[in-house]
Amino acid sequence: MESMDCLVTATEEPAGTGVIIQISGSSAARFRTAMEKKVREVLDSMGVKDINISIQDNGALDVVLGARVEAAVRRLKGGAVI
Amino acid sequence: MSKNALGREIPDFIEGYGKTNPYKGAFAIKPEGFKAGPKLRCVNNDRTDKLVSGIKSAIVASGLKSGMTISFHHHLRNGDYVVNMVVDACAELGIKDLTLFPTALFGVHKKLIEHIKNGVITRIMGSVNGPIGQLVSEGGMGVPVVLRSHGGRPRAVIAGDVHIDVAFIAAPTADRYGNICGTQGKSACGSLGYAFTDAQYADCVVAVTDNLVPYPASPVSIPQVFADFVVEVPSIGDPAGIVSGTTKVTRDPLRLLISKYASLLIEASPYFKEGISFQTGAGGIPLAVTAFMKDAMIKKGIKGSFGLGGITGYFVELLKEGLVEKLMDVQSFDLDAVRSIGENPNHIEISADWYANPWNSGAAVNMLDVVILGATEVDVNFNANVNTEADGALLHGTGGHQDTAAGAKLTIIAQPLLRGRIPCVTDSVYSVTTPGEVIDAVVTEYGITINPRRKDLIDACTAVKGLPLVPMDELAARAKRMTGTADPVAVEDRIVGVIEWRDGTVIDVVRQLKKA
Amino acid sequence: MRRTMLYLPGNNPNMLTRGYLFGSDGLILDLEDAVAIFEKDTARILVRHFLKQGEFGGCEVTVRINGVDTEYWRDDIAAIVPFEALSGIRVPKVDSAKTVELLDEELSAVEEKNGIPLGRTKVFCLLETAKGIWNAYDIACASSRVTAIIPGGEDLTADLKTSRSKEGTELDWARRMLVFAARAAGVDPIDTVFPRVTDDDGLRKEAEFIKQLGFEGKSVIHPNQIPIIHDVFNPTEKEIEQALKIVKAAREAAERGQGAVSVDGRMVDVPVVKRAEYTLLKAGISEVK
Repeated sequence: MESMDCLVTATEEPAGTGVIIQISGSSAARFRTAMEKKVREVLDSMGVKDINISIQDNGALDVVLGARVEAAVRRLKGGAVI
Repeated sequence: MSKNALGREIPDFIEGYGKTNPYKGAFAIKPEGFKAGPKLRCVNNDRTDKLVSGIKSAIVASGLKSGMTISFHHHLRNGDYVVNMVVDACAELGIKDLTLFPTALFGVHKKLIEHIKNGVITRIMGSVNGPIGQLVSEGGMGVPVVLRSHGGRPRAVIAGDVHIDVAFIAAPTADRYGNICGTQGKSACGSLGYAFTDAQYADCVVAVTDNLVPYPASPVSIPQVFADFVVEVPSIGDPAGIVSGTTKVTRDPLRLLISKYASLLIEASPYFKEGISFQTGAGGIPLAVTAFMKDAMIKKGIKGSFGLGGITGYFVELLKEGLVEKLMDVQSFDLDAVRSIGENPNHIEISADWYANPWNSGAAVNMLDVVILGATEVDVNFNANVNTEADGALLHGTGGHQDTAAGAKLTIIAQPLLRGRIPCVTDSVYSVTTPGEVIDAVVTEYGITINPRRKDLIDACTAVKGLPLVPMDELAARAKRMTGTADPVAVEDRIVGVIEWRDGTVIDVVRQLKKA
Repeated sequence: MRRTMLYLPGNNPNMLTRGYLFGSDGLILDLEDAVAIFEKDTARILVRHFLKQGEFGGCEVTVRINGVDTEYWRDDIAAIVPFEALSGIRVPKVDSAKTVELLDEELSAVEEKNGIPLGRTKVFCLLETAKGIWNAYDIACASSRVTAIIPGGEDLTADLKTSRSKEGTELDWARRMLVFAARAAGVDPIDTVFPRVTDDDGLRKEAEFIKQLGFEGKSVIHPNQIPIIHDVFNPTEKEIEQALKIVKAAREAAERGQGAVSVDGRMVDVPVVKRAEYTLLKAGISEVK
């Protein structure tokens, strides 16, 4: 994985489960709170309520994390990616 | 508990370390009294051979007992066999509770973890890289590790803070009476700078060699008057791990950008003139800075008086090309440096005491104009941390950081602003290695950040068109904006590391990490 | 100024974060050749997030979209055009004025939909086929959005059914022709990339050659190439000195109400004065004392 990037895997969760976030990797030790906040922010803006987001991090800043989460969710849900 | 001069909380007494002297300032403490010393020896002409049959015999002959202190130098770096050989033998002989006093440890020494767990080694005074560092951070040692700089270590020995019972000196070449040389032999390592103090102050000195030559060896770094025993072994180290091939200047664009800015700062400073002296490490950025400086020196038609510290082939080239008159070498990093120190009288071997001890009549760092250093983090007061990582783990030794920063007229920390998401500029460093009082500038890919203490440098840089100056508060704000706010590191009360300043005062402590 | 335009792989967070620090005049966030087919969607999203953040220093920010012969180009445009940080798009394989008209239409629709001033998004045309080069002038004139034309290297060579040489023989005529077409149409000619990233001397030679031909600048694939090209394209001390003299003389003549300008005893025409002003602009000198 490239430096400053992260691998995001989004999987479906049954309705009512809420948002489950798992983070591993280089930033997890010091930036878990900030990263979880960004993930929830992106999911909110996409109107996603029940989902499992798993992140393998290699130093991703919020701008990258947000993009990768959005991309993972769009791939999961299908449809146009703009 | 009291706060030291940097506002760090230092207990008055630390279990396993003793009474603490809190840091008072970079140059605040002056010593009084006299030097300590080792046992007197007497060897007459009935003994013309100091050879013993093996490591175990040497240990027995040395009188090493449980609870004593043993020391090693790290000139064989990641190719070293000697530390492991000796500690393995101690374990087999049933010796335990030893204090290990190396000048540094490397990945190859991770075998020691087993001996730490078994109580053969119960205290370490020196750097603890990698897996040993992780073990220490998680509370795996009964007493705190003590970290000292390259100059602070000889000071501690000479002042009597640390007493070495047995020093094991890996000797690339030795004769049967204990004359030691570092520039010849299959495991040649060049300068033996870190071994001198141990040879001079240990109660017993054992030379371990894989190249026994007829008496007398020549040239000689450490003369025979110090060695008590000599052991010949098949190999003291792996040459591939001792020295790398020739170090090449990086082509990584980010590192080149940072190096370019650092070089521009040096050129703008009042020190960029005939006779400039400088020290750069072996890392990517320092080496690239040297390369840029070289071009600038040629353009301006100036020569350097000396290069200092850990010497690489690149520095040797500068010597050969006449861009620097002399090299003062405390550690030879690659084959070119090893070859050069053995052949060129202008390439001088210096001891750690000569290099950096603050309590002698003047160390080489005092004569230094410019030094380029790295750090894991720097804070808004320009304090630097090289000992701990962002996750609070104790991983790196101090090296010559404190000494060169204190001695040099221009101390530059050059590093990327971010390592992944980890910021290298923070509000307050997790642990302090080197105080902002002696750090003049931080150079990142965003530009040059000068310590407000140095109005002269700020003025000099402002006068040059196109030098990207970034105030520290702006740099710190940028880092925080890009990375977000970090969670605090979860720690226990227990202290696992004591970081000493060059003068033996405690500049900071490192606490045990809470289990995840 | 467009002395250098640095390609940044559109799916590379490290380069997107730091690319602007290397001091090129422009950036090209690449959604085309730098991105594998199966990552076209994720790269597009990544570039969009970076455009929204908008941290690119003083660089002119462009995006190389996928060609109009692909299924991606309309989504690329829809994703990136709404952002103020975007100055323009670089379009591969433009081979006729028709392609430019198609792009113009799509861009206008997206601009309108997003409340953006019509025409804000400029177009940099990559002419990578024999046909594209042949139509260079028409392409450059086809829309007021067109701001630069660039010859392709690899693809053009393939279309000519020859191979790439160190001397650049196969590109020679295309380069010369493109400069004429661009200048005639009033757009910038920008040269193609120099692929041998460790050959500093070769890069310098090529940069000197294309500067002399009249190119505005060069596309760049590695940050290390930037200082070399800037060095070549920046006016020398002598050129700046001379330019200052000329511009000063022209100003004085204008103040005295004189039509003719003379420097060092020789008459100096309007085009010479204009070139001198342009030299000062390139040197970053706005004040003439």
